[in-house]
Amino acid sequence: MKKSFLKAGLLGLLVAGFFIQSANAQSDPTGKRRVTGTYAITNATLFPSPGQPGTKSTVLFKDGIILGVGSGISIPAGTQVIPGDSLFIYPGFIDGAGSMGITKPKDPEKPKDFVSSAPPDELAGITPWRTAVDQFDPASSEVDDWRKAGFTISHLIPDGGMIPGKSAILVLGDGKSTNLIRANTAMAANFRGSRGMYPATASGVMAKFRDVYQNSTLALEHESLFASNAGVTRPKVTPTQSGMAPVIQKQIPVIFEAPKELEIRRAMALQKELGFNLILTGLENYEHLIPVLKSSGIPVLVQLSLPDDKAIKAQKEDGVTDATQAQYARVKEAYEAVLKQAAKLEAAGIPFAFSTSGAKSGDALKNLRTMIENGLSEKAALAALTTNAASILGISRIAGSVEKGKLANFIVSTDSIFNEDAQIKHVVADGYIFDYEVKKKTSNGNGTTKPGEGISIAGVWEYQTESPAGSTGGELEFTQEGAGYQGSITYDDPSGSGKAKAPVKNISVNGNQITFEFDVNAGGTDITVTVSGEINGTTMDGTMSIAQFGSFPLTAKLASPSL
Amino acid sequence: MKKLIYIVAAFLGLGWNAQAQTPKGSVLIKNATVLTVTQGNQENTDVLVQDGIIKQIGKNLSAPSGVTTIDASGKYLMPGIIDAHSHVALDVVNEASSPITAEVRMKDVVNPFEVGIYRALAGGVTISHAMHGSANVVGGQNATLKHRWGAKDPADIIMQDAPRTIKFALGENPTRVHGRGNGIQPRTRMGVEAVLRNGFNEAIQYKKAWDTYTSAKSQKGNTTPPPAYSERLQTLADILDGKIIIHCHSYRADEIYMLINVARDFGIKKLVFQHTNEGFKVAPEIAEYTMGASVFADWWAYKFEVYYSTAFNAAILHRNGAITSINSDSAELIRHLYHEAAKTQRYGGLTDDEALAMITINPAKQLGIDDKVGSIEVGKQADLVIFEEHPLSSYAVPQMTFVDGVKYFDIQEDKDDQRQLVAATEMVEPIFLRADEEAHRCMQDVDAYFEAFQGAFLEEHHH
Repeated sequence: MKKSFLKAGLLGLLVAGFFIQSANAQSDPTGKRRVTGTYAITNATLFPSPGQPGTKSTVLFKDGIILGVGSGISIPAGTQVIPGDSLFIYPGFIDGAGSMGITKPKDPEKPKDFVSSAPPDELAGITPWRTAVDQFDPASSEVDDWRKAGFTISHLIPDGGMIPGKSAILVLGDGKSTNLIRANTAMAANFRGSRGMYPATASGVMAKFRDVYQNSTLALEHESLFASNAGVTRPKVTPTQSGMAPVIQKQIPVIFEAPKELEIRRAMALQKELGFNLILTGLENYEHLIPVLKSSGIPVLVQLSLPDDKAIKAQKEDGVTDATQAQYARVKEAYEAVLKQAAKLEAAGIPFAFSTSGAKSGDALKNLRTMIENGLSEKAALAALTTNAASILGISRIAGSVEKGKLANFIVSTDSIFNEDAQIKHVVADGYIFDYEVKKKTSNGNGTTKPGEGISIAGVWEYQTESPAGSTGGELEFTQEGAGYQGSITYDDPSGSGKAKAPVKNISVNGNQITFEFDVNAGGTDITVTVSGEINGTTMDGTMSIAQFGSFPLTAKLASPSL
Repeated sequence: MKKLIYIVAAFLGLGWNAQAQTPKGSVLIKNATVLTVTQGNQENTDVLVQDGIIKQIGKNLSAPSGVTTIDASGKYLMPGIIDAHSHVALDVVNEASSPITAEVRMKDVVNPFEVGIYRALAGGVTISHAMHGSANVVGGQNATLKHRWGAKDPADIIMQDAPRTIKFALGENPTRVHGRGNGIQPRTRMGVEAVLRNGFNEAIQYKKAWDTYTSAKSQKGNTTPPPAYSERLQTLADILDGKIIIHCHSYRADEIYMLINVARDFGIKKLVFQHTNEGFKVAPEIAEYTMGASVFADWWAYKFEVYYSTAFNAAILHRNGAITSINSDSAELIRHLYHEAAKTQRYGGLTDDEALAMITINPAKQLGIDDKVGSIEVGKQADLVIFEEHPLSSYAVPQMTFVDGVKYFDIQEDKDDQRQLVAATEMVEPIFLRADEEAHRCMQDVDAYFEAFQGAFLEEHHH
């Protein structure tokens, strides 16, 4: 029911779009309608694909397709021209596997005859008939955030249990379009069990995966027997079995989420046993497996997130025993090894791409720069974000580089993209131009400001933030502490009524830019909230972001001392 | 996706996880008191290991070139200790969600990085039987592990030439999880028997359906469609065909005798009882119809069904002719099984060889690997432990432990930090020594099933 409702919703959206379009044929009371679909970015430094040098070029595109790239392009009348003289153009990033804008459908009610040892597939997380298209909201703030980080295409993985459904490739263009490039591209799978019912653990999930796979194979056999011979009983193919059919027939691969080393091995073991086509995604710890991955040729998507360095920063200089020092050293070694993993994939010649699931959009470029500092070449980093991803997803013909005939997806930045000072000024996705504010540097020669050189933030601030759950707010207090700041924040207690208070950490003030973090305890786990903003006099404008949930606007006013 | 399919297809058959050879070592251990377990004790004797196999046992052997010699004068050499009941090196212990989960494989969730493997080696244990838990009447299939510490591929610590085994469980655990916890069969010991008999009867039907299909399939104009696939029933059918050894969690004499009768009715001969605290009451029956019992030396009274117990259990079972082993079911006990075995001398007066057999050749028999390990004999795999003092002495301390002739533990080279994996985000906290009460994990991962009657009958220990 839910599924068909969602489908109807999608259809409704399309129909509504049609009516809006025709209404606009007469007038556009919103004033938001584009004057033209044809644009040219002139005389910018273009890096058309990884490894190619930057050349001064003009890029002309219309209705989402690149019409021409080069220096002698003639620009037709009616083209909106964006002078690109000081700007850099890169192909738009492609997310190998993401969850932006995806909402997990509600579980159906448990049936009256529910037995935990044999639950219906839908409750047990086995829903291969579902599709990411039905779960995707192109107007989600997460989509905005990732586009702002340079992503123009995402391979979206549906949310759910062990086999949540089929993925889809979408372009992160206009929020009013369906943005679909290709539906049903791969079958998502993971090792998550269902709580309190079969299968509950990774071992149960593996056994159930084999069961689903084998019975889906047999269902196809039964169907073909039924089609060819008279007197064969009618095949009672379940939605699970028909949902799995394209996997069994090797029309689409399984995209298995396997962050940890042993999970990667488990996914590969299932692949070897059953013979399906496989893409590994969400890889987090894979250093030991690089030779195995290399010889398997299985496409890999590694997490775009990196571990935080809280544990490293918490290590004390003095007053600790030799034994503790030795443990510190091992954690440090482990941390450094993680940062070097991507470089090792490159060295092994594995054409990997990234997955954004679980990563913070605001950290994406920072993480890439860290990987580059740790040995990944800029060429390989860009390839992972563009051509490799396009090739793994089978969309190289239309995406991955800035070329005539390909989708108009690119990034326009103020500097070479992996340069620390680079800022993204525009992102073009599906031919739609998204503009971002470029912040002026408070220059002190090298373009950075040391802590303490920013403006004073000391005092009590009252803040307001908007989230899908509604508007909320609290107090934010900063006190000067040596060259830096300490602080605390109050917020609506997620576990009840009233306000909770948490210390604020990692406060950094750079010019009038401020960033800080705090932890919210929700249901026993700490969620880190990152706030970044810009201070102008007594007001602060910024965003509050939480990994996986997206970011929300935040405003604050200095309450005391009043300036 | 066409290109992708092409890429994947191109690499299929390249054998990317072809079984790598596990390490095999060569070593000459000289002048030890060799406790062969099966062929008596030999003083001042040398044991030569080549490529992981015991090649020679004798006096004045000389090392072939390139083979390390270890002087074990004044020390004892015994076969690697075998623990027939362990949950070390498993990421998951219980798939507790159904009364029968025969399709679940512990081999899928072996974790070669668990430091418990190294701790077991430090206690002289070279092989452990990594079992599914006891939440279900028929639990998952177990894995027999060789403690090749340092291996990164789980396949490299699985003893690939060991036969398949499976976990069964009777009594309070399965009736509590399924009957009282979830309101489904079994709620009583009668229910447990019914689950077993129904399961085996269904397996017979399953096998018949597949046999019918297989023979009809090749006929022209076949109208028989393939039956549903069920690894659960296939595994039960494999038990009926004698391909899998049952290891059954049990305490009471009546339920032990019940399973013996079920096994006899279905022609099952490969059956070992685990825990078996009331085994002494049915010792002759266990001896006649089964592959024996694997027991604790002196551990009981952690729940109602485990009160009627005695430390003489192992000796009584043994004297009645039942193959008897002593196991740990615990990451702590596994470190001093030699001490547990010695308790059979205090309670029952077993000889040294009989006591040592409880942790070597007898568990090897129960795991179906006694032709390969479990004693020091020429031709067997070189799983060996060098002890300071006799292993059954209170002063015994393992010095070196070998698996396939490769040394994995040496008390002289025992690093402080043996962990293989360290998280990049680990907050290093000061370490305090404390006794861990919750050392055994037979009922791990089953909390969700107790919601209906939280706390009512739960105690600390859940074997």
